Amino acid sequence: MFALLKRDLYLALYSSSSFFYTSSFFILILIILPFLFGTNDVQLQVLFKGIIWIGLSLSILLTMERIFNADYEDGNLDVIIQRYPSLETIIISKYITHWVVYCLPLFIILPILSFLFYVSLDNFFLIFLNLFFGSLGMVFIVTFVSALTLGAKRTIFLKAIIVIPLFIPFLIFGTNLGSWPILLALSMMSFVLSMYVSAYGLRLYVE
Amino acid sequence: MNLRLTNKQINIIEKANPFLIVSTIVAFTFGLYFSLLQSPPDYIQGDSMRIMYIHVPSAWFALMAYTILAGSSVLWFITRNPIFSIIARSIAQIGMIFTLISLVTGSIWGKPTWGVWWVWDARLTSMLLLFFLYLAYIFLWQSITNKDLASKISAALAIVGFVNIPIIKFSVDWWNTLHQPATISKLSSPSIDISMMVPLFIMTLATFLFLITVFFIRLRIEILDNKILRIREVK
Amino acid sequence: MNELKIKDLTCYRGDNLVLKDLNTKLKSGDSLVIRGSNGSGKTTLLRVLSNFIKLYNGKILFNDHNVLEDANYRNCFNFVGQKNCLKDNLSVKNNLKLWEIIYQKNISYSKLLEDFNISHLMERDVASLSDGQKKCISLLRLNFTESKIWYLDEPFVFLDEANSQILIQKIKNFNTNNGIVIITSNINLQNTFTNEIKI
Repeated sequence: MFALLKRDLYLALYSSSSFFYTSSFFILILIILPFLFGTNDVQLQVLFKGIIWIGLSLSILLTMERIFNADYEDGNLDVIIQRYPSLETIIISKYITHWVVYCLPLFIILPILSFLFYVSLDNFFLIFLNLFFGSLGMVFIVTFVSALTLGAKRTIFLKAIIVIPLFIPFLIFGTNLGSWPILLALSMMSFVLSMYVSAYGLRLYVE
Repeated sequence: MNLRLTNKQINIIEKANPFLIVSTIVAFTFGLYFSLLQSPPDYIQGDSMRIMYIHVPSAWFALMAYTILAGSSVLWFITRNPIFSIIARSIAQIGMIFTLISLVTGSIWGKPTWGVWWVWDARLTSMLLLFFLYLAYIFLWQSITNKDLASKISAALAIVGFVNIPIIKFSVDWWNTLHQPATISKLSSPSIDISMMVPLFIMTLATFLFLITVFFIRLRIEILDNKILRIREVK
Repeated sequence: MNELKIKDLTCYRGDNLVLKDLNTKLKSGDSLVIRGSNGSGKTTLLRVLSNFIKLYNGKILFNDHNVLEDANYRNCFNFVGQKNCLKDNLSVKNNLKLWEIIYQKNISYSKLLEDFNISHLMERDVASLSDGQKKCISLLRLNFTESKIWYLDEPFVFLDEANSQILIQKIKNFNTNNGIVIITSNINLQNTFTNEIKI
């Protein structure tokens, strides 16, 4: 299990999807805001709560081909499955890697971002909690969609069409401060669903 | 496996088809007569409300089609009989079209009622998301070239989508109560007069017959398609 | 002594019969070449043997244990398929590092690359290598396990004369160390390996 996790993290590190890339992405998505909507601080606060979710969704969604597709296409998935016969182990390792690489940077730079957009301390904690529990569920969702679409023609748009409707509940509750318990519940539900469906998808494709 | 897809099924469909087409036309003639001429106009909305007789049945059947889609996907997992995969595929396209019809008619109805073509009403928004669930299913099926695999994968997606519908519905409703401006009136009045119930009932029946007719035509095409595919593969 | 037995193996892919009533028996030190035209089921056979495909009729026995039930079997073989298991955007060294973690075995990379005389490629990106060089590197995966069986899917494709000879030598060495090798190929290897079946 830990060897696999180590391997996935090393792979992410080598593929130069380092902390700086992801966090720069988040910062740039948010920097667009004042250019588009002006510098009115009340308005920016409202928009910040929404756009940060768009940034998170994009970061998770655009990179979803790295979860299973890359390993499937170059054959590494075969090797991994031979060495680690429990598919659940493989899937959990992918969850952790994807979350650490594409979500964790957001949480590290979130204090600075909230500062830039005049978010009060109380709101900061609520936003943080919402993003945290929401991002877990969103990672579970892209993982199973990635496992299901391994053999589909390689297009991120197809995957986006499948994923975004499933993201909507997270986005709805995510932008409402204080609804982190609901997000936690949604994440737990998607965890159960994702485990089954990802394992099913992987089993089909290695055959 | 394909042995279970016999000519018998196609024969039944072909025999039923003319009968279905005739009864659909008859039902629509009656339905349209009652809904456009016989029933009174709404005392607030006037004649524009008559679009309800198309809008409401198609919205119902759009939802029903997804239930059938998910149900046949589950049955496919249990029995592995390819006919269920074919049923799922045929109903998906029809369901998508019904969703589209209900969206478009809802929007046309909205113009005289609300003064705008689109309102971010909970029901309209959920229907819009349902449309994308259908779209995802159809696109996924098309994008996988190995059709055996495609039916397994898209069946899984259909079930996932079905599990998600109540969650999406719940969250959209909740979102709507937060953001809905107070001025918007609800689409349907709380009680429908009996003079409107009769045409609505006939139109529902007509729409249902139409759905079955189109479904059988699609089913026949899909079965034949499947056969051609098998024959090609074996050769 | 190890023994691999294939008994009445029949396998369908979809509705197509791919493998029909295959019987064979291999002992330590044996090698077997499987010949057949494109699409005749050679790769399917190797994927059945390496337990990726689990739906088939007949039995595969390794030391008289059914491989589907033998949890230890997965450590007994190594499979090098036509996909080269290399990340294009990484250097050769990083790729080897990733394998090292998966296989949990420490190996001196430079010594490994000397096998095919490609030590100079260590720092190069895989994307910049030729197909033959990639193939050589993907075959190095065989050194990461102490396996008893090698399944090689078209190993000679893209390899030049010199590297083919090196590979043949590697296989022969493995055979003398009691290894079993199954190779698929669509070229004639009768001069090198006498044991051959056609499917």
